[in-house]
Amino acid sequence: MGLFDRKKPASTARRRVFMLGIDGTPYTFIQRMINEGRMPHLAKVVAGGTLLRMNSVHPTVSSVAWSSFMTGKNPAKHGIFGFVDREPASMKVFIPTSQAMKSPTLWEILSAAGKRVVVINVPVTYPPRPVNGILIADFLAPKLEKAVYPPALAGTLQSWGYRIDTDPWLGHESKDKLLADVNLVFDRRVEAMFRLMQGEEWDYFHCHIMETDRLFHFLWEEMETNDPVYAPRFFAFIQKLDELIGELARRLDEGTDLLIMSDHGFCTLEKEVYVNHWLAEEGWLKFAVPAPKSVADISEETIAYSMDPGRIFINLQGREREGRVPPAEYERWRERIIQGALALRDPDSGKPFFRAALRREEIYHGPLIQQAADIILVPYDGFDPKGSVNKGQLTYKGPALVGMHTYDDAALVVAGRRIAPARTPWVADVMPAILELMGAADPGDLDGLSLLD
Amino acid sequence: MEHKGFTIWFTGLSGAGKTTLAREVEKRLRARGMKVEVLDGDVVRQNLSKGLGFSKEDRDTNIRRIGFVCKLLTRNNVVAIAAAISPYRDIRDEVRREIGNFVEVYVDCPLEVLVERDVKGLYKKALAGEITNFTGVNDPYEPPLNPEVVVHSDRESVEESVEKIMRKLKELDYLPPAPEDVYSEEEAEVVEERLRSLGYI
Ligand SMILES: Nc1ncnc2c1ncn2[C@@H]1O[C@H](COP(=O)(O)OP(=O)(O)OP(=O)(O)O)[C@@H](O)[C@H]1O
Ligand SMILES: [Mg+2]
Repeated sequence: MGLFDRKKPASTARRRVFMLGIDGTPYTFIQRMINEGRMPHLAKVVAGGTLLRMNSVHPTVSSVAWSSFMTGKNPAKHGIFGFVDREPASMKVFIPTSQAMKSPTLWEILSAAGKRVVVINVPVTYPPRPVNGILIADFLAPKLEKAVYPPALAGTLQSWGYRIDTDPWLGHESKDKLLADVNLVFDRRVEAMFRLMQGEEWDYFHCHIMETDRLFHFLWEEMETNDPVYAPRFFAFIQKLDELIGELARRLDEGTDLLIMSDHGFCTLEKEVYVNHWLAEEGWLKFAVPAPKSVADISEETIAYSMDPGRIFINLQGREREGRVPPAEYERWRERIIQGALALRDPDSGKPFFRAALRREEIYHGPLIQQAADIILVPYDGFDPKGSVNKGQLTYKGPALVGMHTYDDAALVVAGRRIAPARTPWVADVMPAILELMGAADPGDLDGLSLLD
Repeated sequence: MEHKGFTIWFTGLSGAGKTTLAREVEKRLRARGMKVEVLDGDVVRQNLSKGLGFSKEDRDTNIRRIGFVCKLLTRNNVVAIAAAISPYRDIRDEVRREIGNFVEVYVDCPLEVLVERDVKGLYKKALAGEITNFTGVNDPYEPPLNPEVVVHSDRESVEESVEKIMRKLKELDYLPPAPEDVYSEEEAEVVEERLRSLGYI
């Protein structure tokens, strides 16, 4: 038996799946909202189905997590390791996109099986790769004209006032501006979603709500501390999200499975931790220019450098542009840096920053593992490791970014089915489950398969 | 994602720069994750074409053998790079027809410059009559009439010649996009700003 039991008829008619992605919405938060009666529609769906806690990925960012979801694989098979990456031979910094994703996606597999798909706003789908249906790319798209497959649909979306993403700079200007924009972008997205739901043929429909993540980054602390001004506005948005879920549950027919999932959890950010500052203090990181902009500016004396969030690379001879550490000393340096990171404490509170410092082979397996960071730091909730190269300090907490991602608090909601997996699932387990629900063949080499035997 | 196979065929006089450019282009393509094999004339003559001499007949046989291997590689989605003098036009064109995905690079360099360079010391010997059948000195070379790329190694740096070849490969749509190709400079700025505002950069 699979992740999903077969209480619903395995299908005489074709089975469809509707997936609502709610980026960064924690399992524990959903539980709380249900208990407090703030999400009555979701509560009803959960009462008739299942709410599961899931693990995310390391490092815990949306690009890596959703890539693992859509491919059903770990990063060493799909090739997305963060929001930024570097070409070691040149040390050029770049943004990994769908072009860097080396694995077929759920919607490409379904397309090849003759299913029709509509996919809206899932991270790392830009530039849009062709599908049998429609794909509207995510916030890695610089503009809407280039974000849509087939391209002809872009004009229509424009005329509906569709927006790719909230302007997150607004969150640095004021919380009010951010809230207004989050609400606007959400409304426009939902409107486009309903229009496409009705106007298009589809077997798999995926609408990704990014606005939750944006709201949480800028207002999570206000919510947790029950800020008199912003907590109510925060919950007003949550109510709107709940109404969307109610509307979906009402509209979807018996032959359609409604799934809702998040890719990671959230908590209040205590401090950003600038890993490169620490490496420089240790004498392990040096820059070739006085005002470095990125890791492209490291000097040949560098032993190690870090990219967001908490990925540490050894400046390795034969791999990096001006590699310094000989391969024979690689393990010694890895061990030294790991021990150093684990011993790091917040100078103010004395609390340790990192619960673990993992060697890449401990968490990744596959042909692209050579592209991964050599060490991946796992922070304690509250400490957010950052990749900046030009902060003259170890830690910082500003007024704008007050929320951060958590690893073990992603959520999966399945309407109308009771599921009790034997172990805690992770985000990559959902994709093979969807294939199974829709009667599509397993493409093989998936890492999420084990839950389905 | 899997890329297309094709053959890059360097032709030109000894010392013109075929091996140098083949190795540089190989590096660039490998950096993009492509599968590449180089068939260098000097190496081939020590194994695949061992025993062949420099008569027209033997030269033709040598080129047909290299062309045959390039064809096998190309149809298996490998980039085959041939670096051999290949002096005769009709055999090069025959190989081109056989392979299909064929990019001919003519490495042009005046004889005076080659004699001056004399990378292997062979021109000196040929001019002294110690070597017969030496292409360009006492054996014919037929330059291509319509090569995809012409590089002038007497007045271009290696880097410039490589850029020229890479540009043509891109134009012919043989290159999978490099990460830095996805965005224009302006677009990259838009996306980087967004990531910066969320603290990812
Ligand atoms: N633009 C250029 N392209 C290639 N080589 C150049 C260029 N400019 C100068 N050179 C020099 O010319 C020489 C070319 O030698 P190379 O061994 O590559 O020639 P070749 O064509 O392979 O000769 P052969 O047919 O004898 O093997 C090298 O020393 C290289 O550095
Ligand atoms: Mg040579």
